[in-house]
Amino acid sequence: MLSSKSLMRSLRQSGQLPVHDFLAPALFAPEPALHLHDDPEEQRISRRSEPRRPRRRRPETEAEASDQGAARLPVLSLNQAGELAATLIYTAQKPPLVNAHPHLRPLMSHMYEQEAGHLRTFNSLLAKHRVRPTALYPVWSVLASGLGWGTAVLGREAAMACTEAVETEIGTHYNSQIRSLLEMFEGYEVGPELRDLVGTLRRIRDEELEHLDHALENDAKEAKPYWLLTSVIKAGCRGAIWASERV
Amino acid sequence: MAPMRAFATRLASAAASTTTKSSRSPLITTTACLRSNSSSSSRRAYHSYDHPPPPGAFNSAERQILSAAYRHVPEHGFTHKALSLGARDAGYLDISTNVVPEGPFSLIKYHLVSKREALAPRSAEIFNAPVAAAADRATPDTAAGARGQLLTVPERVERLTWERLLANQDVIHRWQEALAVMAQPSRVPASLHELALLSDEIHHLAGDLAVDPSWYTKRASLSTIYASSELFMTNDRSAGFGDTRAFLRRRLDETGSLAGALGSIGQWVGFTASAGLNVLRSKGARI
Repeated sequence: MLSSKSLMRSLRQSGQLPVHDFLAPALFAPEPALHLHDDPEEQRISRRSEPRRPRRRRPETEAEASDQGAARLPVLSLNQAGELAATLIYTAQKPPLVNAHPHLRPLMSHMYEQEAGHLRTFNSLLAKHRVRPTALYPVWSVLASGLGWGTAVLGREAAMACTEAVETEIGTHYNSQIRSLLEMFEGYEVGPELRDLVGTLRRIRDEELEHLDHALENDAKEAKPYWLLTSVIKAGCRGAIWASERV
Repeated sequence: MAPMRAFATRLASAAASTTTKSSRSPLITTTACLRSNSSSSSRRAYHSYDHPPPPGAFNSAERQILSAAYRHVPEHGFTHKALSLGARDAGYLDISTNVVPEGPFSLIKYHLVSKREALAPRSAEIFNAPVAAAADRATPDTAAGARGQLLTVPERVERLTWERLLANQDVIHRWQEALAVMAQPSRVPASLHELALLSDEIHHLAGDLAVDPSWYTKRASLSTIYASSELFMTNDRSAGFGDTRAFLRRRLDETGSLAGALGSIGQWVGFTASAGLNVLRSKGARI
């Protein structure tokens, strides 16, 4: 596991447990960081209070870092919208699918329960951190229900191909979020908040990939125009991510 | 309400740190203030409980001048006159009102920001007052505070909005001038931003946890109601602004009943649609 190695490395480098760090929130909003760095008064105060903290400047300038990192940093409202869509896809898929293939009932219920749990997690995170939900929320609700229902009507293989495509995109997306968070941890001490966030993201990513395995076990590859279905759905996912990050 | 209390203490400690900093080196901060104006509009992506909040809307020099000038507002209004009197009180030259780039509008913004920030400790006071202490002093106000834990979210919203309106009472006779300045086209975005921050703060303090599209409608309706109540208050001559509170309650009740009606209609439509779908499914349609 590359990611756990880099976490250990960051722990070794910092050498002490995380304490308050005024730099970490600055990484989410780079503008005040420039101000903090440039203010000599501020630097003197912080150096005196925390003498052994490693003070390593990031290699890039703040502006470059924000340009590169902006797209990959976790966007809680985006994750919430994704989990909402997943929940609705499974909700819409379940009746037609279970009607045709009753043996899928436990699997669908299991996947739905997990997605609903993810949605609850992100809902509470959003409320806790006072994050604005995405304005496209109603749009995604309608599209996700339509997608779930449509693929379920097409048949078991199409529904599983849909699950496969969506979970592939989502798994990749969570992976890049975790990676960028861990990159951010290097050289900085972060509070329990961000560490918990990485833990939550890891757990959710693993569960999403488990759904991907279930989909493959249930003949996702047998869907008739497989390449067409998965590529359209994947493109749709990427478009939705792109839009949700902005609005 | 542990997070709320933590938030309140954080605010208090932040305020303390700005004051110590300001007493140390007025020179450095005065030169720094010219650059830091952009930081007042800086966006905070999330509200952290681990990390101290970003620097406030004003730096220490601005804060000194504005807080001194604010004391002259009831007499001189939100004007350059009040600003230069304030600068003199704070130990600066009259000319140093240049530090405050937007003139009277900065003074208005100072009022808005400081009253909004004062809402968090006030809400902790109202809603978290220990029941025993309130029972001893059986004044109606503290008794209401003791029942604070039992209030519903809309009731808390009403209470907090009222507290915020009451914070206007010292300057209410000057507030129409301020509203006129805030309505100038170049000032409208900043004023609306401050209004949005206020309604977000009220909903957060009231413990509203909704993160669906109602997040937007709730904040928009509260902003409208707050702005109209404020306007009503400028002409209110009743004792203790009782008419304003009645006005505020009527508007909030109207919004509540409208939201309730819309919710009921939505529920009915959803139920009918799913019932129809299930009837078709029971007839063997493959949908």
